Amino acid sequence: MALFILIPLLPLMASLMLLLGGTRWGENSHRVGIPAIGFSFVLSVAAFIEVLRNGPFTLSLNRLFQSGSLTIDLTLYVDQLTVLLLLLVTGVSGVVHVYSSRYMIGDSRYNRFFAVIALFTFSMILLVMSGNLLLTLISWEVMGICSYLLISHAAERPPAGRAATKAFIINAVADVAFSFGIILTFYTFGTLDIQTILAQAEGMQDHTINILGWMGMDLQIYPVTVIPFFLFIGAMGKSAQIPFHVWLPFAMEAPTPVSALIHAATMVNAGPFLLVRLSPLIILSPYAMTFIFIIGAATAIFAGIVSLTQSDIKKILAYSTISQIGFMIMACGLGAFAVAIFHLLAHGCYKAFYFLSTGNALRSVDQGLEHVNHEYHVPEGMGILYGGALLLALIPPLVLFSGSYEYLWGVTGLVSATIGFKIIGLITVFVASQYLFKGVTSLFVHGPKTYWPASGQHNLETQSVRPRFFNGSILTGLFLTTLFAGGLLTLFWSWFANFIAPVFNFPGVALGEGAVENGFPFWLVVSLGMAVAGWAYAYSTQIRSQHQASRAKGRNNKWYILFWNKGYFDEIYDAYLVTPTIKFSNWLWRIIDIKVIDQFIHSIATYSVYFAGWLWQIIDIRFIDRFIRFIGTFSVKSSGRLWRVVDIRWIGNKVGKVAEQANTTGQILKEIESRTIQHQLLVMIFWLVAMTGLLYIMIE
Amino acid sequence: MALFMDHLISWMIAVRFIGIIILAFVRDENLIRRIALGSTVVEVFLTLILWRNFDSTQQGMQFVERVEWMPTFNIQYAVGVDGISILMVLLTALLCPLCVLCSWTGITTRVRAFLSLILLVEGAMIVVFTALDLFLFFMLWELTMIPMYFMIILWGGPNRIAAGLKFVLYSLTGSLLLLVGILGIYLNGGHTYDLLVLTEQNYSSDQQFWFFLAFFLAFAIKMPMVPFHTWLPDAHSEAPTAGSVILAGVLLKMGGYGFLRFCLPMFPEASANFAPYILWLSVMGIIYGGFLALAQTDLKKLVAYSSVSHMGFVTLGIFVFNSQGIQGAVLQMFNHGITTAALFICVGQLYERTHSRAISDYGGLHKPMPRFAALFFLFSVAAFGLPGTCNFIGEFLVLVGTSYINFAMVLISMGGIVLAAAYMLWTLQRVVLGEPKTEAAKILPDLSNRELATLIPLAILVLCIGLYPGPLMELMDASVIHLIHQATGM
Repeated sequence: MALFILIPLLPLMASLMLLLGGTRWGENSHRVGIPAIGFSFVLSVAAFIEVLRNGPFTLSLNRLFQSGSLTIDLTLYVDQLTVLLLLLVTGVSGVVHVYSSRYMIGDSRYNRFFAVIALFTFSMILLVMSGNLLLTLISWEVMGICSYLLISHAAERPPAGRAATKAFIINAVADVAFSFGIILTFYTFGTLDIQTILAQAEGMQDHTINILGWMGMDLQIYPVTVIPFFLFIGAMGKSAQIPFHVWLPFAMEAPTPVSALIHAATMVNAGPFLLVRLSPLIILSPYAMTFIFIIGAATAIFAGIVSLTQSDIKKILAYSTISQIGFMIMACGLGAFAVAIFHLLAHGCYKAFYFLSTGNALRSVDQGLEHVNHEYHVPEGMGILYGGALLLALIPPLVLFSGSYEYLWGVTGLVSATIGFKIIGLITVFVASQYLFKGVTSLFVHGPKTYWPASGQHNLETQSVRPRFFNGSILTGLFLTTLFAGGLLTLFWSWFANFIAPVFNFPGVALGEGAVENGFPFWLVVSLGMAVAGWAYAYSTQIRSQHQASRAKGRNNKWYILFWNKGYFDEIYDAYLVTPTIKFSNWLWRIIDIKVIDQFIHSIATYSVYFAGWLWQIIDIRFIDRFIRFIGTFSVKSSGRLWRVVDIRWIGNKVGKVAEQANTTGQILKEIESRTIQHQLLVMIFWLVAMTGLLYIMIE
Repeated sequence: MALFMDHLISWMIAVRFIGIIILAFVRDENLIRRIALGSTVVEVFLTLILWRNFDSTQQGMQFVERVEWMPTFNIQYAVGVDGISILMVLLTALLCPLCVLCSWTGITTRVRAFLSLILLVEGAMIVVFTALDLFLFFMLWELTMIPMYFMIILWGGPNRIAAGLKFVLYSLTGSLLLLVGILGIYLNGGHTYDLLVLTEQNYSSDQQFWFFLAFFLAFAIKMPMVPFHTWLPDAHSEAPTAGSVILAGVLLKMGGYGFLRFCLPMFPEASANFAPYILWLSVMGIIYGGFLALAQTDLKKLVAYSSVSHMGFVTLGIFVFNSQGIQGAVLQMFNHGITTAALFICVGQLYERTHSRAISDYGGLHKPMPRFAALFFLFSVAAFGLPGTCNFIGEFLVLVGTSYINFAMVLISMGGIVLAAAYMLWTLQRVVLGEPKTEAAKILPDLSNRELATLIPLAILVLCIGLYPGPLMELMDASVIHLIHQATGM
């Protein structure tokens, strides 16, 4: 049992070895990563069998730390959901490792690439195995920083750096909500252990907390209703849901195998996974469920339409992923968590394959660009791409809409919504089959129209590496594996439903009961029909040359322009969020900090100097000085007067002496007057008085 | 051995000043550097011995030493450590060898004076963090200022005189208030400077109000809290690298330490009354510092303003008066010391190569300096509290602690973390990523082994504390519980 700790540990160790070894590993780096991930995969299979036989288990490791009532234990929880995702993550990551070992040859950062994808895999594994929300947060963020490193892989290209920064900051914004949700969870439940929270969730439904206590007001909220909102916003960031979706298309700056990893196995899957993992908690909040449904549905449709208008195949794929993940999120919002996970697995398999074959094809196109007449150059690997497109467009929906799924729906009490789900689902199928068909054809039948930057880095290197480039057999093997996995999922979906059912053991929900309905698979046929219709429509608008004119006409449509510009999300964010923030911070610095606060301090200094000057000029010279002189002259005068008026010899003698003395005193005082000394004395006296006053006040 | 173990803290202080005396008799510059390094490393070992023999289950002071100093005024030489101060001593001892290392080639004039000042300030800070006598505390508190002033005005940047003056004036204002406060409690607390006795005294509400205010302002200027922060960017950007490291790494922590050692235990009532205002001020500082860092064009000023933002978390954690908050705040002080010191060293290394601190002068450093790029990346992500690095634990605990008080503050402070991610990553993008801007930038030498030796210990700490903060938290657990008991009666 303890052996299963190695599942996350092996990729981590591989990553550390590569990072510490630095460039010494060179092009042997994949020899560290591949066995590690391979063993992880084997252990995942073992974990799968273990769960199949004996049910979920927990691995309790060390205690991380304790602070007051907050205890963080390193707990790994393995249940049905975990093992399924483990298989997907380690499987896809293994394939990506093998693929990249050829694909990345000639890259100057070969070792760094393998170190980071191993770390990336580790963080996703840790996320799916985590039994503690803090551990979830750590792996969540480590994944974010890995994606940053991978997107900025081509570090000398400015767009890569921008895309990486953008991806991370958008995620950071969403993660504020996520961390806040976690803190709120701790506040409510007093623990961060996921299983304890899920067990307690139902009992806490009527628990309220006052969020305006600090203002002396009373505003009670139900934390169980609010927490899912915040956690979901975090999921929106990682899963690229509207309005946080803008980072994913830019993430295409990463090398193509990374896209396969991000889109199929890690990162974007974190959102649906989190929702499913916390489903017993989330289902208690109908408001959050509605919100999740709306966001998912909006994303699915919007991203689908945008991908129709794009001309760069990598952008098409990015928006297709956004759309598909939106679909999963929508399913979660309806309580169909099993459907979401099913779709996630199926989508993961196909998307990985699709990206890897695109990478293959793009390499061929790169090479093709050196030919003069590349317009109609058809690269090798195209047939596989067609096959992949077909699978992606057809099989997952086929699986999804098999009519026997009905019983997964009814039990959640959201029966009426299933109709809406199906309609949106069908629209998604229609759109998906179109953009995939279009993506393939516009790239490979009409030749490349845009020269996408991400592949530019390989341009110079491809010539020399061509003989070492991977052959079709890897891809074919990949294709067969994908087909096999997809086929398994398709055929054994009812077994799958029974297997995953214990994850959703919320009350009132009884999954896995009842036999398969043997009726006419109505929805299956409908969805297949929609897919075929999508293909047909795409064929009629894209392929046949006589429609070129009407296509050009259609492009002046304002809706087309709106979607072609991806709904202007990037421009709006730049204009209304990024630029104002930077302007505001500049204003804050130049005006508030320098001109107000600092100037205030400076003016205190300036006025102190003025005050000292005033003290010297007015008090010192005019007042004290004159007073002393006045005493001197006055005593001289008065003594003289005394002498004259009271003219008595013996008195006169004495007074005369006094007057002389007074006169000399005045003279002496005048002589020893030194302005600096007096000035300092005065300042000292001033402070002494002030200090005594202050002390006096305090003591009183 | 007993003589050694019973007087360990005095030995630590003595070693510091012996080091300075030895330096006075050496002429060869390289030898001076080695002696300084050796003596700071000895200090690290002494601190580790202190750590090893420290009993973390005890609440009170340990390794206490008391000697009459000026019996007429009841002034003692009294030192001792508890779970909070030992962390500060550890941090001080840890950063000073790195300060010596990072000024190895950067400081070429008056080497002996410079290194003596580093040793002097280290010794003074160790006394500040261990003093159990207020008079001793105040004297050494003042003493830390003088070496810093000379470091700034003698080895600083072009604007050093003004920056040094500003630093001294600000610090003096704070010290004056501190003096007033100390005299006040001396007169009202039974004519003694003994910290442990004074902590047990009960002051009336009025007295607490005024004393707290005096102490608070002194520490707030040192921290610095917004709006008393304007000395910091100037002092940081003009100071030499080692000066910035000491300033940001340890000197600022004297403020937070002061809150924990004086304000909370001595004036619990006033602390509770002032807490809401201080909390909002801290939250403001977090956001304000973040925005200002975003606006900077100068690398050192950027790190300086980010310090303002991070120190906001410290005061936020201290004044929520619960275990998570205070442990988080102490950890945040420790971690901020590590990451900010590392960032300043990184900037210093760049400055040594190009003599420019402007962000716009850099670009594409990943190519000529891959080692530097990797380490700078690590410290940058640590600076914005990426989970898995050390700053995260501190910030997370502070936020958990704050959630017991106010959710709005938690949410707003998290905005500060987003800003931190924005300015650090934007800086990375402009400095490390992209193409080198000039031909000269393409052949910048990568980090030498000495420079690596400066940064690697910090990198290891960043990751170790980030992944396993347990030992550090255990170290202060009992003391923090004791402190909370003193501050809230719970």
